[in-house]
Amino acid sequence: MKQYPRGGIAEPGASLDYHTGSWRLQRPVHVHQAAPCHHACPAGEDAQAYLALVEQGRMQAAWESLVTANPLPAITGRVCPHPCESACNRGQYDEAVSIHGIERFLGDEAIRQGWAYPVAPPPADAPVVAVVGAGPAGLSCAWHLLRAGLRVDVFEAESEPGGICATAIPGYRLPPDTVALECGRLMALDGIEFRPGQRLGRDIQLHELRQQYAAVFLGVGAQQARPWSIDGVTPGDLHDGLALLQEWKRVGQIPVPERVAVVGGGNTAVDLCRVFKRAGAKRVMLVTHSGMPGPGVPDPMRALPRELAQAQEEGVEVLTHRGVRRLVLRGEKAVGIETVHMKKLPDAEGRLRRVAFEGTESLLHVDMIVPATGQDVDGRGFEELLKGSAALAIAADGAIGTPGVYAGGDVTGNAGTVTAAVGQGRRAAAAIVRSLQREAGIDWTDAAPVAFAALNTEYYEPMRRHHGAVLPPAEREGELEVEQGFDPAAAQAEAGRCLSCGNCMACDNCYTLCPDTAVLKTRDLAEDGSHYVFDYEYCKGCGLCANECPTGYIQMVVEP
Amino acid sequence: MRQALEGSQAIARAVALCRPDVVSAYPITPQTHIVENIAKLVADGELKCEYVSVESEHSAASVALGAAAAGARAYTASASQGILLMCEVLYDIAGLRIPMVLTCANRAVSAPLSIWNDHQDSMAVRDAGWIQIHCADNQEAVDTTIQAFRIAQDTDLPVMVCVDGFTLTHTLEPIELPTQQQVDDFLPPFVFARALDPRKPLSIGTMATPDWFTEARHSHHGAVLAAAEVIAAADADWQRITGRCGGGLLAVDGPDDARIGVVCMGSITGTLQDARAASPELPAARIIRLRSYRPFPAQALREACAGLDQVVVLERALAPGGVGIVGAEVRAALYGTPDAPRVQSVAAGLGGRDMPLTTYARLIALAQAEATTDFAILDVELDKLPEADRYAAAAMAGGQA
Repeated sequence: MKQYPRGGIAEPGASLDYHTGSWRLQRPVHVHQAAPCHHACPAGEDAQAYLALVEQGRMQAAWESLVTANPLPAITGRVCPHPCESACNRGQYDEAVSIHGIERFLGDEAIRQGWAYPVAPPPADAPVVAVVGAGPAGLSCAWHLLRAGLRVDVFEAESEPGGICATAIPGYRLPPDTVALECGRLMALDGIEFRPGQRLGRDIQLHELRQQYAAVFLGVGAQQARPWSIDGVTPGDLHDGLALLQEWKRVGQIPVPERVAVVGGGNTAVDLCRVFKRAGAKRVMLVTHSGMPGPGVPDPMRALPRELAQAQEEGVEVLTHRGVRRLVLRGEKAVGIETVHMKKLPDAEGRLRRVAFEGTESLLHVDMIVPATGQDVDGRGFEELLKGSAALAIAADGAIGTPGVYAGGDVTGNAGTVTAAVGQGRRAAAAIVRSLQREAGIDWTDAAPVAFAALNTEYYEPMRRHHGAVLPPAEREGELEVEQGFDPAAAQAEAGRCLSCGNCMACDNCYTLCPDTAVLKTRDLAEDGSHYVFDYEYCKGCGLCANECPTGYIQMVVEP
Repeated sequence: MRQALEGSQAIARAVALCRPDVVSAYPITPQTHIVENIAKLVADGELKCEYVSVESEHSAASVALGAAAAGARAYTASASQGILLMCEVLYDIAGLRIPMVLTCANRAVSAPLSIWNDHQDSMAVRDAGWIQIHCADNQEAVDTTIQAFRIAQDTDLPVMVCVDGFTLTHTLEPIELPTQQQVDDFLPPFVFARALDPRKPLSIGTMATPDWFTEARHSHHGAVLAAAEVIAAADADWQRITGRCGGGLLAVDGPDDARIGVVCMGSITGTLQDARAASPELPAARIIRLRSYRPFPAQALREACAGLDQVVVLERALAPGGVGIVGAEVRAALYGTPDAPRVQSVAAGLGGRDMPLTTYARLIALAQAEATTDFAILDVELDKLPEADRYAAAAMAGGQA
């Protein structure tokens, strides 16, 4: 006869006899989804992974995690338009996490502390790949090839690595030392041979490289001034925007007009305006077809909003939605431009077309007009690959259709940013490694990212975004860096703002709240990288864990 | 060594001598000094135990319950509204048969608000299934607290040690604290056979269907009744070690040939004894003090009442509309015995009303009265009330002191 035990304490194990798992219609599963920052990063950085390490104060481990995607964080942390932050789910909660600030901090710390790049020297007999161009695309490609165990010879026309970062981006937003140290450390790695002063078509020939190397990567950039005229008229003293920036960087001075108009809406145009201000120009005007970046603006300028704002602080006048209608010349020299208001409006077929508004013309007196409307690819040395095109067309993996030759960066005409070039270099490296029948070891996520709506934001506290110090406009002289980085405490605190979208952050919600104790906590990481396993013998499938998971990492699926 | 100690301080020291593992408490007058003193002993490093400051009495009882269920010697203390807030947990502790000790610093229950002494609070949880032992003085409070830990672990029942608030808790008395060796000899380490163990998961407090509830209640009721022997044995053992005893289930004091008996609980006993000694012109009554109220010592009471014609029960709590909480039980115990005495019941000292030596004479007068008073409030002063709120039949005649 069954008996009532003292105090109603059920016999040991009695509750385990009820295998409530048989009641289940749905089961919770762990689904590691890409965070929006990861998904949005053109270089494929998993920001969430390194933010988690920074939050724990494990700075070197964080940097090592970061460079598995991007070996140039000190550079990209400064110049990238950080689409990761535009995508950051935290932006819909309070303010996006300052991912670029932390990326920069890690890059700077690695240089300052001399952290070794996490890579083993390749075997002496490893295949050797030629990388032409030591800009962001080439450096990234070389790094990822080295990580895959290959040797790399990097050919560079200039004397130093860095590409446009070394030659054209002004020092006030990307200090030359940062570029030299970060790129130099990379080029000094065992397995990478840096060959400066080697221009394709002059010192080295493509067909020779194709014969001598297991593969060739072209990352030669786009640095040729694009022909520019207004109705076929150009001033005799026409300067190209990029060329002026390069001159400023190389020589430290440029011709200084009283009043100058820079035409364009990208970072080159903005950089040039700010350089003119620093060089002593009285009045600097930026003339652009586009509008100021902002919510709901259909045609924003491509320049970074914060760069644009700083330019305005420094006195640059931004004339938006203007086109240059006519040049006013005295002899060969520009003395003015006539501008007209323009806007993108839908045409009869509904396509947006730029329309000039007659009667809105106005005359600007300037001593100089500088186009900064983009550069073309200088095809010398690989004319046969261009086949008359303006840029090299590449597949997603960087292949250009010619066996053994890959490309990335501005030479492809669609990189646009340093970070995108890093990403293209990385993808091409993966393709090269695979073409050599090797394990690429480079994962790339294309899965849809976790939406803000999938998060349970009740579990997060509002917290202000951290900002590094910014030099006041009055103190911005010469090449002094305008934006200061984070100190370790700020970096760590800012990393703590990461919501960990789509990933387990070991908050214990599922473990604590499961009414059936069917979530078990593991001492070490579980197989799927979380800290928990579901005990499906007892999980009733109530979905509480999925609902209370702050990050969307737990999802309910129909019971198989 | 005898020392002058405040009752609360003495009780705290007694608890410490029992080497508790967990003490959880929320302060309430007049219990505060007890837990304050325990907290100080812990803070001073004199007592090694987990002292848990909680946010309510409900939590205090819950923490003690959990700790004891996990195998810890657990203690808490409260009074009045605190006991009421603990109420549902007190039922759980008892129903789960969890051994632990609680000191109730007896106090009136609101409303109207009163911080002073009567027995309304412990009476309110009379049926929770705890052992309830009432102490006559602070020496007995010390001795009973130590005995309570042994009674609890020998019966798998929780023990409530009732001490009159202020009258005992805030009064200095010469106290003989036992030595640690004496306590260790008397009180073996706490071993709870049903202690929770994460390696052997089990369920407690599960639902009992109508098929089982009656049996659960039966076993609980039987256990409380059977605890009478354990209470007596503990007191006897304690006497062997210290030479002091509290009187087992009830203490009888007075001449063998007495015809009048007075039944009471708690510290009023000393007042009645002093009054009897100071009033040789009055008949010397037999004073019967119920030490154990739960279990109710019916058989011992019948024996103690042998030869009495009159029994007056002095109540320290009120069941409005009833006939006296203790009185009804005394009457029931004596009902049908040969030559059963007449039993009358009065409440006195409610909400801290002073009970002077003259109380004794009033009780003797009641015993000698022709008319029988089933129940009345002894010391009510009717002229303090509006005419419409006076109920002469529910008050003792001549109530105005």
